[in-house]
Amino acid sequence: MEKIKQNPIVKKLGFNRIVLCCVLLLMYLLFSLTSKNFAGLPRILSALNYAYFLGFLSLGVTFVIATGGIDFSIGPVMFCSALISGYCLTSYGVPVALSLLISIFVGLLFGTFNGYLVAYWSVPPFIVSMASMNIAKGLASVFTKTQSVSWPQGTTAEGWFRNFVKVGDFPVGLVIFLAFAVVCSIILNKTKAGRYILSLGSNKEAVRLSGVNIKKWEMLAYMICGILVGIAAIFFVAAYTTVQPGYGDQYNNEAIAGCVMGGTSMAGGLASIGGTVIGVFIIALLQEGILALHFTKDYQLIITGIIVIVAVYADVVARRRKN
Amino acid sequence: MSNSSIPGKNKSVISKLGGQKFIVLLVVVGLIIFFSAISPDFRKYTTVMSILDYSYYIALMAIGVTFPLITGGVDLSIGTGLICYSLTGGYLIVQKGWPVWAGILVTLALSIVIGLLNGTLVSVMNLPPFLATLCTCMVTRGLGSIFSKGFGISWPTTGAPGSWFRNIFKITVNGTKIPLGFLWVVLLVALMAFVLNHTKIGRYTIAIGSNKEATILSGINVRFYHIMAYVISGFFAGLAAIAYSAVFSTVQPGTGAGFELEAIGGAIIGGVSASGGVGSVEGSLLGVFVICLLKTGLPYIGLQANWQQIITGLVLIGAVMVDIMKKKKEAV
Amino acid sequence: MGEVILTMNEIDKSFPGVHALDHVNFEVRKGEVHALMGENGAGKSTLMKVLTGIYKKDSGTITYEGKEVEFHNTREAQNAGVVIVHQELNMLGHLTVAQNIFIGREFKKGITIDDKKMNEEAKKLFDRLHIDIDPTETMSDLTVGKQQMCEIAKAISHDAKVIIFDEPSAALTEAEIEELFKIIRDLRKQQMGIVYISHRMDEIKVITDRVTVMRDGSYVGTLITEECTKDDIINMMVGRVIYEDPKAQSMVPKDAPVVLKVEHLNAGKMVQDVSFELRKGEILGFSGLMGAGRTETARAIFGADMKESGDIYVNGEKVTINSPEDAVKCGIGYLSEDRKRYGIVVQKTIAENSTMANLQKYMKGLFIDKKAERDVTQKYVESLATKTPSVDQLVVNLSGGNQQKVVIAKWLIRDCDILIFDEPTRGIDVGAKNEIYKLMNKLAEEGKSIIMISSEMTEILRMSDRIVVMCEGKKTGEIGIEEASQEAIMNMATREIG
Repeated sequence: MEKIKQNPIVKKLGFNRIVLCCVLLLMYLLFSLTSKNFAGLPRILSALNYAYFLGFLSLGVTFVIATGGIDFSIGPVMFCSALISGYCLTSYGVPVALSLLISIFVGLLFGTFNGYLVAYWSVPPFIVSMASMNIAKGLASVFTKTQSVSWPQGTTAEGWFRNFVKVGDFPVGLVIFLAFAVVCSIILNKTKAGRYILSLGSNKEAVRLSGVNIKKWEMLAYMICGILVGIAAIFFVAAYTTVQPGYGDQYNNEAIAGCVMGGTSMAGGLASIGGTVIGVFIIALLQEGILALHFTKDYQLIITGIIVIVAVYADVVARRRKN
Repeated sequence: MSNSSIPGKNKSVISKLGGQKFIVLLVVVGLIIFFSAISPDFRKYTTVMSILDYSYYIALMAIGVTFPLITGGVDLSIGTGLICYSLTGGYLIVQKGWPVWAGILVTLALSIVIGLLNGTLVSVMNLPPFLATLCTCMVTRGLGSIFSKGFGISWPTTGAPGSWFRNIFKITVNGTKIPLGFLWVVLLVALMAFVLNHTKIGRYTIAIGSNKEATILSGINVRFYHIMAYVISGFFAGLAAIAYSAVFSTVQPGTGAGFELEAIGGAIIGGVSASGGVGSVEGSLLGVFVICLLKTGLPYIGLQANWQQIITGLVLIGAVMVDIMKKKKEAV
Repeated sequence: MGEVILTMNEIDKSFPGVHALDHVNFEVRKGEVHALMGENGAGKSTLMKVLTGIYKKDSGTITYEGKEVEFHNTREAQNAGVVIVHQELNMLGHLTVAQNIFIGREFKKGITIDDKKMNEEAKKLFDRLHIDIDPTETMSDLTVGKQQMCEIAKAISHDAKVIIFDEPSAALTEAEIEELFKIIRDLRKQQMGIVYISHRMDEIKVITDRVTVMRDGSYVGTLITEECTKDDIINMMVGRVIYEDPKAQSMVPKDAPVVLKVEHLNAGKMVQDVSFELRKGEILGFSGLMGAGRTETARAIFGADMKESGDIYVNGEKVTINSPEDAVKCGIGYLSEDRKRYGIVVQKTIAENSTMANLQKYMKGLFIDKKAERDVTQKYVESLATKTPSVDQLVVNLSGGNQQKVVIAKWLIRDCDILIFDEPTRGIDVGAKNEIYKLMNKLAEEGKSIIMISSEMTEILRMSDRIVVMCEGKKTGEIGIEEASQEAIMNMATREIG
């Protein structure tokens, strides 16, 4: 076992990520064997639809968790973004392109709000998340007068944004998502922002005493998360059309699950975008498999909950062993 | 110690009257006056009844969640938990023909099990409380739907056989509805305030939130008492489930998310510190009434009910910020 | 003085790389106050931790009340009547005084806690000690002094026969110390054996009956307090042997420009009206005993903590420093005494830690220029002789001395001309220590100015050009290396201030 871990190729790719990839493949095999129509393109495309928006949420929350914080307002904020921008589009005649920008802007607004309270006021992140989650739900309901919003179909002229997800059978969304993942990975590993975000997640005081303005960088992590949540909203409506106010919280846990499964530590300081991407695919495949096996969404909730607990517990144990 | 200040002598009148609790009481009274002044409908007896009806389950949850909050943790699973317990009990009564008392027992038993689970995750496995309970929140939500097969469930309605439990909370005497539930809530608040202040469970709950390391060093079985805080929280979510089933006609699976904010928000407004160690059960109850008044009162002044969610969120953050500012001042 | 109640014989204890206790002897009699003295790191606390079961001894015997004992934890020691009043308080701020005293062994009435009885018992306890504290007061509302009294009361409530005070007066005011002494005298009358650990010479003379001195983990000797002078004790503490030669004279020209001038700096109780100057190329030693306020002064200058008043001039210009960010911009770098907490980010590589303070210099547009980052780190790894296979090594895998070098490299890469080294060699083995010393001398020669806070007398005498001595948050002396001696510094460091 140790020998495999020391292998240079394994080291480069990350042992954890290789295991996750194997899990992903095994799951696919398992579902294909147990469910008749699972193998084949349609199921994969459907799983990918789920993976896109979840992936953006997961990428976003990876930045926040890297600082040692948490944001479980992301699901409702995504819905809030989709609802407000969609309502602008359908009821106020705002052009699609602008609506999409509004969606990102709403996400950014929430990210800034959360980040400001956590970084500059030291409000515990879970309190901020709880409050934001409800503000997002309330705001969306108030704004849309508690109506659900349907975005234009792909057949209409206004439906061009659906090409973000797929053109014909070609999964454009996958390309875009992976491109964003690469960008996120570059931000996290190659820029000043990423360096400081990871470092302050690991030892805030040491970074502050190096003369770094930690508040600014901590807030930035939440803002990046907000932007990605806004983009997630776009992919959600492009794939699923209709959004209902008052929901969205089930995606929090799935996004966090994808993130912690991929090797990002809840204690902060350690984050892997590659791991998050694979984690998201696993969750998306799981959701597809559960549906294919004619179970309800409820099993998904339970399984995701257990996955998060196991992944975080593994991290807690690993850290304890190190000390 | 001639030059040291004499504590207790320079305290203000307000802090003698219970500090934040007193201010919150003023806010409650202020809100009542404000809504009554603007809307004549608000002054009606039916409005009072409906505010109370809405308050029971939130108040019960708030009583329970006060304990994990005081340990410095949180329990996010109470909202979806409530629905899950209610669906399970209701399913057994309505679909399986169990007697109501047995359904109630199962409801409460399940709530204790989930509380134990939360406590174990936090205290034994050392998971961050918000994360552990966020997961049980999702798990209970899924379980509730699975137990009820995805359908809404109505506990026996008034007049139907087995509807006696509804009278626990509201009884009609000579055509007048009497909010009995309020009495129970007040009694339970008194009981749990007693538990918090005069029993080992309460004492060590505060001790854990105050300084967990020092508590362990004092030779206390911190693990057990830490778990107990979550069991209490779970059990009161179970009681809240009964109240919810008794007050509302139908329980829908998939709901319940957001209830916890009202309970936790109430507790924090009522003076529980987000960083633990400080809090009172009676304060939490007062805080809940602030939230319930906003929730029921806003439509009377022409605002959508959904504004309440936004305002609750903002009030919660405001309450925590006040707490943080107070601490900063003390630190200087 | 009564019969012997506790004897520690030939106690030996080693930690990896450190021989902490070298066959130490110590005894306590009933009704005596026995001072345990020595410089920081002499092994006093370790000895007491062995006694109360926090550490396990390697060899030696402990005899208590005529029987050989070995306590496995503080609770066992407590139950037997050996209790320790810690320097850091172990209190539960949100509970009342009585609740704190009886935590874990509450009086009960049925299932409820009998607070009334606890308050009465606490009151009795306080009366016995002549302490005036209301048992129903919330702990965090009390002054530090009163909190300390509560800790003492708690200790005594365990039917203590031996009480150890670990620097009890460190945080107390003059009046509170008087109060404390009254209590200690009372306890002595009640035939308890009292161990009193302190640095304050004058207190020792006032309150104790005997003094045992330790040095470098060894037992030096025991004196009857009445029969010895302050100088006798100081001589025993510092010893006659000095391993490294002290610096003969300052290398800094008298007219070297002043690079840092601090005037009337105030920051809480630990920094009161501190003023000093630092010249170019100078190593300015900051000496004093633990808790003298040296670290607090450094942190206030560096902007890590809030300051109340005072002016700071860098190169003659007045500067405003409200955060470490400001300080670093003025060219000030700070090496903390607690590397792990304040110095390094353990999960990051050497290169990442080294450029932490000056990342903007190693950017190529938006991106970090990893090659430049590695190159500059490599340069400093070589010039500081940091032992590591590569600059991509995580700092968590480095030894203490090498971690320290990474922190030094961080400030050198930032081009800081004023460096504050807070206990730069703490927890570092002898060989690495010498390297750090050489490095500091080299830096000074290159024109960097260094403030070195150190609790090791030999280090101060070996490295400094000039020495500032602090005591109780105040500057109590300043002395050129030419006139400095261990005795002179120790005298200033223990100078009592009214």
